[in-house]
Amino acid sequence: MIQAQALTKRYGSKTAVDAVEFEVQPGKVTGLLGPNGAGKSTTMRMIVGLDRPSAGSVTVNGKHYREHPAPLREVGVLLDAKAVHTGRSARNHLLAMAATHGIPAGRVDEVIELTGLASVARKRVGGFSLGMGQRLGIAAALLGDPAVLILDEPVNGLDPEGVQWVRRLMRHLAAEGRTVLLSSHLMSEMALTADHLIMLGRGRVIADAPVADVIGGAGGDSVRVRSPQATRLATLLAGPDVTVTAGEQDTLEVTGISAVEIGERAAGAGIVLHELTSIGASLEDAYMALTQNEVEYRTGGSAELQEAAR
Amino acid sequence: MTTTTTLPTAPEATPVASPSGADAAPAASRLSATGLIRSEWIKLRSVRSTVWSYALLVAFSLGLAAVMSASLDLQGADVSQVPAANQAIFVAQASTFGVFFGQLIVAVLGVLSISGEYSTGMIRSTLAAVPKRLPALWAKVVVLFGTTFLVGLVSTVGSHLVSSAVLSGKGLQAGLFEPTVLFPVLGGALYLGLIAVFALGVGTIVRNGAGGIAVVLGLLLLVPMVLQLIPAAWATSLLPYLISNAGINMFGLMSFSEVPIAWWVDLLVVLGWIAASLIGAAALLKRRDA
Repeated sequence: MIQAQALTKRYGSKTAVDAVEFEVQPGKVTGLLGPNGAGKSTTMRMIVGLDRPSAGSVTVNGKHYREHPAPLREVGVLLDAKAVHTGRSARNHLLAMAATHGIPAGRVDEVIELTGLASVARKRVGGFSLGMGQRLGIAAALLGDPAVLILDEPVNGLDPEGVQWVRRLMRHLAAEGRTVLLSSHLMSEMALTADHLIMLGRGRVIADAPVADVIGGAGGDSVRVRSPQATRLATLLAGPDVTVTAGEQDTLEVTGISAVEIGERAAGAGIVLHELTSIGASLEDAYMALTQNEVEYRTGGSAELQEAAR
Repeated sequence: MTTTTTLPTAPEATPVASPSGADAAPAASRLSATGLIRSEWIKLRSVRSTVWSYALLVAFSLGLAAVMSASLDLQGADVSQVPAANQAIFVAQASTFGVFFGQLIVAVLGVLSISGEYSTGMIRSTLAAVPKRLPALWAKVVVLFGTTFLVGLVSTVGSHLVSSAVLSGKGLQAGLFEPTVLFPVLGGALYLGLIAVFALGVGTIVRNGAGGIAVVLGLLLLVPMVLQLIPAAWATSLLPYLISNAGINMFGLMSFSEVPIAWWVDLLVVLGWIAASLIGAAALLKRRDA
């Protein structure tokens, strides 16, 4: 369990994290989502005491991280894959980390096996690919068999099998009752892995809800319908709560009316349908809707695209 | 999602027991001083720069002892006329000549032992494991001092063996356990250990390899030279209080003061420099974001 109370971080006049309040519950995977500069990494660094909060506080299992007698057994953290001396072998890195807490060498070999690093464990980390570095970071996080895991962009640089493995690993660890907090900029990844989302924008929490609720809040589902008599169909469907947008090749995007209703009305009017598809809102849509005004670094092009998409 | 009880392993991994298997961190494992010292020892010995630096230190010391002893030309003088005390002083000088160069090597090593953590990002792993931070610094001090002192001792004792072998051929004799020899041999090793710790403090303050090395070598080499060039009384009177001059004076080979200074005063001067460097390092390490 991680609890943040009015957690704030200022760098000079810039506020990176602004009086953030949240609770990360055990037993599920919580995703920390937000555009670049939203304060995700800063928040994670404050949880493990690498950055000192300007105001407010954050506790792990009821205590400040630094007050735990065995920090590595409370929290396993992957902040970035490069928090390793490049001149040292992976195994020596893990042995040095383990030694601080008196964790036996057997556990080091166990996490090396678990993360698939056995063949490179005695090689110097400087020659590692991004993906191997990421595996080493995950191995280090698992070293103390911790009750809380914090992983910043864990699937960065991993190949598809690696991504799938991390996803299963996170779900498994949460199912064991551990607290799992991860950040990712890959929305599809979040939708597949996380149960709960905390969305940050410009240092503030803009959403804190189960994934399904966040997606549901993105606005109603829409229906795609294709017919050779599209124009007639559009007139037929028109109503006060219904929006009909013409797409390419006789296609209409309809919101405010269900696929069943459209089918029945079309049948009643004798209109032929070639396609009738319900489209659920995606996490991506929800994310865009919520962060519309929160994006710090938005390029002109993508801003126009977002306007056009509305 | 299957409800398997084994932890998912990476595609490349061989199957492994549950995450809390027999070797999983036992409940007793926690931060401890001995654990931190073991950790720092693993860190120190597992990078190449350490091995190279210490090998260079020993090689330089033995080489210089051999060169200095061999180049002694008595010009046919009768060695038996040289008082035993003077013989011992010469043997001691040959045995500790390497310390002058060795201090530069251990200074670089001291800076690198912490700046390497900053440049690679390792410091974030270190501080996440030891969130109180200062215990990690103290463990580094203990390990770096202990290792450098021991390797320093190997250098000075080894140098004594080399120079004794060469000089005894010329009739000069002085055993290791004669106070005139033993004190410099121990003092030289002690000084090397202390310089490494001083450099570690500076490296922690500066957090940058090149910058830290520049500051430490500047203090060891440049400042003494500059002060000697300034023709003013204040500059001359400052000389004995520089870390390098006090340290070298401490083992009785060279004096930078008109009035002889007791060895323990020199030691206090050196410890004062180290205290300044470590207090600055501790204050900044505790306060700064990593």
